[in-house]
Formats: sequence, C-alpha cells, structure tokens
Amino acid sequence: MLVGIPLEQSNSAVKPKECATEMSDYIVKVAETRCKRSFARVFGYFAPRLRSYALKQMGNEALAMELVQDTMSNVWQKAHLFNASKGSPSTWIFTIARNIRFDMLRKLQNRKEDVCSDDFWPVLCEQTADANEKPLDEQITLEQIGFMFEDLPVKQKAVIEAIYIDGKSQQEVADELSIPLGTVKSRTRLALQRLKGMLHDHG
Amino acid sequence: MARFHPEPEHLLQFAQGSLALSESLIIAAHCDMCTRCQQIVHQHTSILSAEIFDFPVTGEPDPARFDSMFEHITQLPPLKGKIAPTPAQTSIELDGKRFPLPLTLQRILCKTGSWSGLVGKLWQAPVDLDTTGLATFIYMGRGGTVPEHTHRGTEYTLVLDGEFCDELNRYRTGDFISMSHEHIHSPHSDSLDGCLVFSVLDQPLHFTSGLARLLNPFSHLFFR
Repeated sequence: MLVGIPLEQSNSAVKPKECATEMSDYIVKVAETRCKRSFARVFGYFAPRLRSYALKQMGNEALAMELVQDTMSNVWQKAHLFNASKGSPSTWIFTIARNIRFDMLRKLQNRKEDVCSDDFWPVLCEQTADANEKPLDEQITLEQIGFMFEDLPVKQKAVIEAIYIDGKSQQEVADELSIPLGTVKSRTRLALQRLKGMLHDHG
Repeated sequence: MARFHPEPEHLLQFAQGSLALSESLIIAAHCDMCTRCQQIVHQHTSILSAEIFDFPVTGEPDPARFDSMFEHITQLPPLKGKIAPTPAQTSIELDGKRFPLPLTLQRILCKTGSWSGLVGKLWQAPVDLDTTGLATFIYMGRGGTVPEHTHRGTEYTLVLDGEFCDELNRYRTGDFISMSHEHIHSPHSDSLDGCLVFSVLDQPLHFTSGLARLLNPFSHLFFR
C-alpha cells in the first residue's frame, strides 16, 4: 500500500486527450512540491499503459517493467522539464519511453553508449554536448593513386590495368597474356596488397 | 527551404524510434534545418502517443509490483536535466571558411575524426558512431567531383552548406537525398564556397568508371 495513496484509474477507459489538462497539472505539482499524491495519479494512469507498450516492444516482462520503471523515474525526477506548451503529457511520456527503449535495444546489442537517443531527441536535456574539431591532414588524391599505380612492378601493373581500367575478367587477362589464371590472381593480390601498403604509409 | 525531404514513411519510423542510429541522426539533422519535416515528426509523435496510451489496459501484473515500483521511484531525488556546456564548436572550419552545423551534428562533432583528402578536391571526416553503417562529413571544394559511382546499399546525404549537382538534380542547403543501387551518379560542386554534406552509408561506394574503379578495393579505407 502506497503511504495511503490508492493507485487508481489504471483500468479506466479515459483517453489520454480527455485527461491531458488534469495530468499536466499533476506533473507541474510534482515539479513544484514533489507531491506524491499527484504523482500517484500520473503513475496510476500511465504505468499500466506503458507496460502494454513495453511488452509489445521488448517482448518480455522483465525488460518491459524495466522500461516502465526508467520512464516513470524520469517523470518523477525531471518533472520540471515538462512544458505543457510544447506537447501533452502523453506525448512527453511517450518520447521519454521511446528514447529509453532505443537505448535499451542498443545496449542489448552491446553497442557503445557514447552516442544515444538524447543526441537526436533531446527530450530530457536542455543543452548540447561539447565538441571539438581536428585539423586537416592526410591527403590522397586520384593523381597520387595514379603515382602509386605507376610504382607497381610492370607485370602487376599490366594485370591491374587490364582488370580495373579496361574492365576485363581475370580469365580474359590470363588468356591474353598466355599465363595461368592462378598467376593473374596472385599478381592482382600482390598489387593490391602493395597499393594498400602505400596508402597506409601515406595515412 | 529544402526541396528534397525524407519519405513520409521514413519520418514516421523516425518518430517511432524504429530507425537505426545513423539514419535517426541524419533525419534529426534534416529536421533541424527543415520546419516542414519538423512539424510532420511532431504530428506523428503526438498521434503515436495518443494511439499507444489509448486502450483499456488488460492483463496487468501483480499490483504489488507497481506498488513497490512506486515506492522505489518516489524515494529518488529530483534531478536537473543534463545541462551540458554550450558546444565549443558549432561549426566546421575548412579551407579558411566556416560552415555552421545543425544542432544535432554539433553534438556529434566530438566523435568526428580528422579530415583526409580523397579524390579530386574531395575531403572527408569519418564520424565514429559504433554502428555497422558509416557516417561521414564530406566536403567538395569548388569544382570538386566524386568519380561516377553507384551504391551497394543505401546512402543518405544531407546538404549542410552550399550546393551540388549530379546527372539527376541540383541539391541545395537542407536537401535530404536518398540513393540506392538503382542510382549511378557523379556528384560535383560548382558553388563558390564548395559544398559540405553529411552522409550515411550502409556499405562502401562502388566506383563505376575509369581509373576511379581502382578505388573500389580500397573504398572501405576511404569511407571508414
């Protein structure tokens, strides 16, 4: 039992639009006075609805409840960031849940978390992250690729030229030069390795 | 005013949160520059939220679980929103010129690597998003061209400053361009200050003509 506050409304058929003003007022009260009674009304209405959304999205009860808990914690802790002129309570709470869901799914894929939903849906932050810029360096131009190409041994160059510039197949090159296909393949591989090495030296 | 926008379906998926990170970023950046798409996303978001919360709830868990969750949450202290400092850099400086960035891309400048020259007056800086796709800033100097190429996967490009054209169209600041394997093109820029774009690519480009074909085996080096 919640310090004598009944969690009501959870099963009510009241549409989000019909209680938007009421819910707005409760969220404002939470922001101003940490009013548990007001939060109980918001929680009672949204938590079960969030759980249904989360179950569909996450497909499992534990993750769904984690999503509900994180979302409602944000509503409680960051109520002061709610701005009724920007959207309804249901829209605000949906965007919080959507962001948490997005980051949870990325976490489940073992992604780094240094880029997150806040970067493109800044629902719960007011400012931007700091930035830095790196100097211009490294320069590889098509002409330089040309020079690197010129540096290749003659036999390798002939194979590369035929394949990448004339667009011939390795078999055609083998026939034309009267050499085994295997030789064409190994010359191509060696030439590409060499070019790759030159590019790396450059970078 | 942008003339090219993401597909309506794409904007809906963005609002739902069902796009990949890199796609979400580039659409958010386009919305920073395009009030039309910003409004569409806003509408989608409010319709989605009404739909999602608008149903009689069935199959509730043990009410005690919600009770204890409520207890736990209301013990938590209020938190200030993340108030990060104003970004040190809100623009990219290239070639002595300053290119202002949309807010979304300012936030990822710190993930941006160093600039390197590609072919013909073309520069790029990769953005490390830790995703399978690649994200890069690309700068075409005046008269710069990208050798003719096609795309193995899908490439989204947002024009941040200046303009460029290809065989199909002329693209201006704010335009959002989607290119797939059906498109073969060779973009070039003739605007005075060149053209800065942000590009998201799920696989390397495939060059289709001349000496540039030689770049194909290395395109993963360039566009990484």
